Amino acid sequence: MRPGRSFRPSDASPRLLAAARGDREELWTVTVGDPPPVYGERWTEVEDRRCRLFEPGRSKLAAAVVRGWTGDLPSEGERWLYLGAASGTTASHVADLLGPDGRLYAVERSVRPFARLLALAERWPNLRPILSDARDPLGYASLVPPVEGVYCDIAQADQLEILARNAELFLRGEGARVLIALKTASMGRHRSASGHRAAAESFLSEEYALYPSVPLEPFHRGHFLVGGRWGRATRLRAGGENRPTPRGRRPGRRGP
Amino acid sequence: MRPTLIVGSGPVLFTVGPESPRPAGPFPLDPDPRVAAVRYEAMDTSDVPTRFLTALESVPPASRLLASPKQLAAAIERLTHRTVGEPTLEELRRGRAALPLPDPALERRFFLALAHFRLERALRAPEEVLITLAREEERVERSVGREARAADSFVSVPDSPLDRHLAAWGKARGALGELEEVLRRTLESEAKIRVPNLASVVGPRVAARLVAAAGGISELARMPAPRIQLLGSRRRPSPERGPRFGVLYRADRMADVPIGRRGAYARSLAALAAIAIRADAHTQRDLAAGLVARRDRRVEQLRRRRS
Repeated sequence: MRPGRSFRPSDASPRLLAAARGDREELWTVTVGDPPPVYGERWTEVEDRRCRLFEPGRSKLAAAVVRGWTGDLPSEGERWLYLGAASGTTASHVADLLGPDGRLYAVERSVRPFARLLALAERWPNLRPILSDARDPLGYASLVPPVEGVYCDIAQADQLEILARNAELFLRGEGARVLIALKTASMGRHRSASGHRAAAESFLSEEYALYPSVPLEPFHRGHFLVGGRWGRATRLRAGGENRPTPRGRRPGRRGP
Repeated sequence: MRPTLIVGSGPVLFTVGPESPRPAGPFPLDPDPRVAAVRYEAMDTSDVPTRFLTALESVPPASRLLASPKQLAAAIERLTHRTVGEPTLEELRRGRAALPLPDPALERRFFLALAHFRLERALRAPEEVLITLAREEERVERSVGREARAADSFVSVPDSPLDRHLAAWGKARGALGELEEVLRRTLESEAKIRVPNLASVVGPRVAARLVAAAGGISELARMPAPRIQLLGSRRRPSPERGPRFGVLYRADRMADVPIGRRGAYARSLAALAAIAIRADAHTQRDLAAGLVARRDRRVEQLRRRRS
């Protein structure tokens, strides 16, 4: 660690640290895993806790935080389901956020990335890798207990349906959350990126009280982080069945 | 009447039903998580714990049985001679919510064992072997080319350390070339076995690369010809001036076609390749002779026409 750099817990989570560097702010996650680095990221030690640099250019979740995401992040001690974990770049950071008492069930269907995810899971005690297709949640229903949240990062045209199906089966109950790193480029050209975002919001707002979504530009072009809390009560308060709430007045808790 | 749900929770089984207020269980598949993982995956009738079967006898015959995962349902159906249905998402969700959480250490070892088991099985699949070989061959080919170009532009001085380096380097390049040769032979014979029709239409190496680019034989068989034509191309498709070929550029007989007609050849070849891979994936019929004849006719046609 460089002298003079000061790490402080971010507003979002005590396991997510922020450190000023020049005019920018860097994000670090307090790791639960062992070295070596997962994808070449920097490690450092802060007050006897090992931390890993959480780069917005590498991870869509980090980009969302940098772009001012105010919704809840996965927090300590929770169980989460991660769809589309690939080789575990973001998944490792989500596991870090969940801490040693949390669990991350990470689903990936491609064989080669999964091999790397498995190697990662050997070093990350709270990571549970599953080689399965997220389109068929019944295939791993007996492996994953009810979870506090579902994080979806799948570049497929039907990514929202995949998320909804998994959320329906695995979410613990009202108040549980979904987050989706929406890749609009894989959702067809019949709508613009922002059109896809609006469609995704109205799709999810039928079941979820949404957080304000954020675009992930300039880190990930055409991507958005969208998410919300599952809950009929909040939805009714938002005024009207199936009607997307007007932008800017979305009923979502701000901050943890 | 509410059904009795039989549900696995990682390495252990439970029943959740109207008979008892709390779920019955746990019935471990095996005390050793690694054995439990193999049993979970195979779930033959012999993998269902005996203690669990005894418990099942207390379920009244009138009660409906539901089980998840699928392989468990099948095994219990065979063992009890009762119909075992599949729960709906909502039934499964409620059943799972009633279960206690698994022991963390045991769960972890079970998950890792299951992941290793599935990964190894997936990697052993003939198609995965073909894909890996195709990627390796491409990588080695690139490095052979890079080394050869570097050697061409290397300037040495006789009887100097540079000269000795060049000699040692030459040996290393020779070894790399041999590796490529062996790899290519393996790849070609593998492709001729797995996708014989496609291999004879476009050539075994290109056939393997097409399969690798598509991500599998059945994936490639599902593709329309225009997508096969562009597989592996780096440029962005566009209605005005997109790419005309990707992997197919290296296909058999492409070199015999005048340069200006190669796009047309790629188009025809992709159509034939689509037929060939579908035969390879589904009917296993030998269409090679007919497809090759059509391909060669097309080549002659394109050569006669002015470009």
